[in-house]
Amino acid sequence: MAGLDPLIHAPARLQVVTTLSAVSEAEFATLRAVLEVSDSVLSKHLSALAEAGYVHSRKGVRAGRRTTWIGLTNTGRQALRGHVAALRQLIDRVD
Amino acid sequence: MLSNMESSPVQNPDDPRSVLAGADQARQRLAAGLRLPTGLHPALAAAVAVQVGTAAYGIANHAAAGLVVALAGVAVFLGVAALLLYQFRRINGVRVDGLASQIVLGAGATPTMAYVGAFGAATWAAFESRWWLVVAAAMAGGAGYAFGAWRWWHAYRRDPAAHAGGASPRVLAALAVLACLGLVTLLAAG
Repeated sequence: MAGLDPLIHAPARLQVVTTLSAVSEAEFATLRAVLEVSDSVLSKHLSALAEAGYVHSRKGVRAGRRTTWIGLTNTGRQALRGHVAALRQLIDRVD
Repeated sequence: MLSNMESSPVQNPDDPRSVLAGADQARQRLAAGLRLPTGLHPALAAAVAVQVGTAAYGIANHAAAGLVVALAGVAVFLGVAALLLYQFRRINGVRVDGLASQIVLGAGATPTMAYVGAFGAATWAAFESRWWLVVAAAMAGGAGYAFGAWRWWHAYRRDPAAHAGGASPRVLAALAVLACLGLVTLLAAG
């Protein structure tokens, strides 16, 4: 169906992107805690999203330790909006 | 054991309704877990009151001392704002530009009207040397500004995606510099 984005169609990937839409940037550890996933699972999703230009990341320091901050790009926000709209259309058709 | 991303919120990965519900729940979980730094609203109200009061004094004073007092007021406000935003980021592990815009810019009708009204009243009162009125206007402005931030926070908690956006830290820093330069120009022209 037109509008559905295969990159964020998987429920887990959609949760990552949707969660990031609530903030400008989130620490990797914060995101991992909210989604309750392992480092490796989250890293895998973020790598795929970063490769598509949907998220950006930068290194930072928090309480003296190195951290990674992740945020949605404009491309990622647009993709999320389009995907959610397509899902809602799908729901409306079923209803 | 399955994680949140894999278990209950998404009952059926092929059902768009449950996929959307699972994603919304994850976002709400993040927003619901965020905490404001202790005393954010009183601190913000006090910082705005100091800034409005000192600016009014500076404009009415027409001397170097007035400029120093006005700039000190801006410094207090920016220092408190920076501290509050730093604490929020440290406590929660997230940055929300919408919150930064509320604290630094007073974005929105309520804080803007409160600030402009208080600034005008305090400046008039300072020219008339009614210092009790300067203090009262500044405090009212600070309270209105903080009330705007409180309202924004509740709106954000209800719909985080719609309220998360705002001016980036770089834009806010640039605006702070511009505000200082504008104040200096205003005082120099006066």
